[in-house]
Amino acid sequence: MSDAKNTITDFVAEGFQNGWKHIDASQLDEDQTLETDVVIIGSGAGGGNSAEILAQAGLNVMIVEEGPLQTSSDFHMKEDEAYPNLYQESAGRQTKDRGIKIFQGRMVGGGTGINWTTSFRTPSSTLKFWAEEMSVQGFSEEEMRPWFELVEKRYNIQDWTDTPNANNSVLETGCTKLGIRWGKIRRNVAGCLNLGYCGTGCPVNAKQSTLVTTIPGALKKGATLISKARAETFEIKKGKIDKLHCRSMTPRGNAPGRQSIKIKARHYVLAAGGIGSPAVLLRSENKTLNPYGLVGKRTFLHPVNISGAIMPFRVNGEYGAPQTSYSDHYIETRLDNQRAGFKLECPPLQPMLTATSLEGHGKSHAEIMKQRPFLQVLIALQRDGFHHDSIGGQVFLKSDGTPGLDYQVSGYVWEGIRDAFLVMAEIQFAAGAKVVAPAHRDARLYHSLKEVKKTIAALDMEILKARLFSAHVMGGCPIGENPVKSVVNSMGRHHEVENLSVFDGSVFPTSIAANPMVSIFGTSAKFATELAKGLAA
Amino acid sequence: MLTRRNLLKRSAISGVTLLAFETCYASPQIPPAPDGMGHHFEFLTPEDRGILSKLIPVILAESLPSSSKKHEQAIKEVIVGWDIAVSGLPILTQQELRKLFSVLDSNLIFSLTPRLLTGVPGAWEDPTEIEDFLNNWRNSNPESIITGNELRVGYMGMVELTMASWYGNPRSWDFCGYGGPPVLSGT
Ligand SMILES: Cc1cc2nc3c(=O)[nH]c(=O)nc-3n(C[C@H](O)[C@H](O)[C@H](O)COP(=O)(O)OP(=O)(O)OC[C@H]3O[C@@H](n4cnc5c(N)ncnc54)[C@H](O)[C@@H]3O)c2cc1C
Ligand code: SF4
Repeated sequence: MSDAKNTITDFVAEGFQNGWKHIDASQLDEDQTLETDVVIIGSGAGGGNSAEILAQAGLNVMIVEEGPLQTSSDFHMKEDEAYPNLYQESAGRQTKDRGIKIFQGRMVGGGTGINWTTSFRTPSSTLKFWAEEMSVQGFSEEEMRPWFELVEKRYNIQDWTDTPNANNSVLETGCTKLGIRWGKIRRNVAGCLNLGYCGTGCPVNAKQSTLVTTIPGALKKGATLISKARAETFEIKKGKIDKLHCRSMTPRGNAPGRQSIKIKARHYVLAAGGIGSPAVLLRSENKTLNPYGLVGKRTFLHPVNISGAIMPFRVNGEYGAPQTSYSDHYIETRLDNQRAGFKLECPPLQPMLTATSLEGHGKSHAEIMKQRPFLQVLIALQRDGFHHDSIGGQVFLKSDGTPGLDYQVSGYVWEGIRDAFLVMAEIQFAAGAKVVAPAHRDARLYHSLKEVKKTIAALDMEILKARLFSAHVMGGCPIGENPVKSVVNSMGRHHEVENLSVFDGSVFPTSIAANPMVSIFGTSAKFATELAKGLAA
Repeated sequence: MLTRRNLLKRSAISGVTLLAFETCYASPQIPPAPDGMGHHFEFLTPEDRGILSKLIPVILAESLPSSSKKHEQAIKEVIVGWDIAVSGLPILTQQELRKLFSVLDSNLIFSLTPRLLTGVPGAWEDPTEIEDFLNNWRNSNPESIITGNELRVGYMGMVELTMASWYGNPRSWDFCGYGGPPVLSGT
């Protein structure tokens, strides 16, 4: 076990002690009516990033966040604390038919607070598709480059040159043996101790989440943070938003509390993430906000399937930077969309996440858990949204007004998932795996490639049989110049309601086909800079 | 979600099953709840806890300590962990879990829980019977016209909460070779 020196102070907590403005709405005992220039809903990748840009432009900014304010000294690298505190629905959110488990952050910092620091720009093939097929303007590689350069500097995104942990080196070795192209992942870290606990909140402020970068940047400029407050609806008057209605959450954060908070602003920025942003629009039940019924449609997930392997050596995938190696071979060789493409990566392997992701119970489950130090896991992320048979899901509201996602995995994507099971098994055996176990109800442990190949070819590709996951929710409020086919324009401004913008992962018209954080940083930087100019004028 | 009413609605399609159920129905034996170690239970009722005390050892198998004292203690802790985890879930999810338990632990003699249909054990005493019940739910056909995917979903919920509660507990870490979070000096 590494015995790391922690000389880093919890400067975010100190900032609040020294006067940064923060309201913990769960502690309010009176209703509030507030006023500001810009209110930003959500403090994740899009919200946090926009907050700093808008505050630096001299605007009065308020950030409303449903989740709690927790800082590095609250992060103890313990799964039983982190999932209920920092994740949406205690990390148990699922699609409507329970076929896909969805991980999203719910904290000040949103997904960036608990994500795995993998930093990719939007692939050029994705940008090209948007320009050609989705009437998106201003998103060519050349036009986006300065924005990516800007955010890469702001979040210290750099090559990661440390030795990968054994979980990631299996991906490298297996791909090399098979002649599959792979690469090293860039990361948004500064002074990373290689602990491996990015998913439970970085305890030493090495991860450059919005919690430790742009949110403090905005607060230093006088912005106000309201945590444990859920934005419920927009009130529309004369075609414009008149005010935002929010509700405090209970101290535990899993239910609405008593206080109502009304915020009146010149401009409203929705950055509550995929599922979250469409939900605010749907709850508002106003035709002007959703004239063509597109809100929440085309929500994409990069559905992920997983393959476990027992290696002849210790992997200890719980330690070391979690994601450092990847392969885009099956994205790049499938851009013609004949077969669904997928990206290959590794997840961190802390015991609770591992145990709840494995299929089955009893003896067979316990046997794998007993060998857990030798367990290696690959994941495949499907590139959804680029094919007519890959239309994503639809956000809907449950009886209590909270959102859910109805996502039907199409036949096209299922075949991509089957291909991915096979490719992952091939890589694991090539790297020396003793046994491989595809995470599927009807699969067992296989000792040879031949055996597993035969099984995978015959497995039912169905939900609740193949275990599916997603940590990337995208789309639902897509950008585009055609108002009948998109919700916001290519600058993130709503087509109908002039004082509303959407600046988060929900604006993507397809999935990104790469981990989305940097795409969200880049687009929201571009959008917020333009908005700041408009509001200053 | 699995509810008695849904099951009944679906089983109405098959009057025969229902008839069989009505004639064979017997009041189930709910095992006693183990000691709660002073925890104030917010969600789990004594009946739920009694049933969990029988389900948990089957779900966790040899990952639980073998000495009987430690084994018992671990089960108690997993039950407390369940309660803490469920209490933090959205209220709607808690309501769904409540319905799941109402199928598992209904002990009203005139309850219409189609026990035979769902294969819920009558006595919760025989581990083989519990194992069969879990496997039935696990391997149920998600397209069944009677139960839909609800048995499979119920299975996954029970197993996942049990796994989360156990492997989030340091007592399980020896078994799975986990050294715990790295120690940061200077904090
Ligand atoms: C475990 C995990 C690992 C990941 N790893 C990576 C990675 O390594 N690299 C990468 O690129 N991406 C990764 N991602 C994905 C990435 O973090 C997200 O895509 C990104 O954070 C999304 O940004 P966003 O601004 O759209 O929304 P989010 O970052 O999700 O922020 C939205 C915020 O809005 C809040 N909110 C929602 N509804 C409301 C409401 N009604 N009122 C007030 N607040 C609300 C939420 O609580 C949340 O804090 C990971 C995600 C997870 C969950
Ligand atoms: S691996 Fe992640 S959690 Fe650990 S120090 Fe680096 S950034 Fe922080």
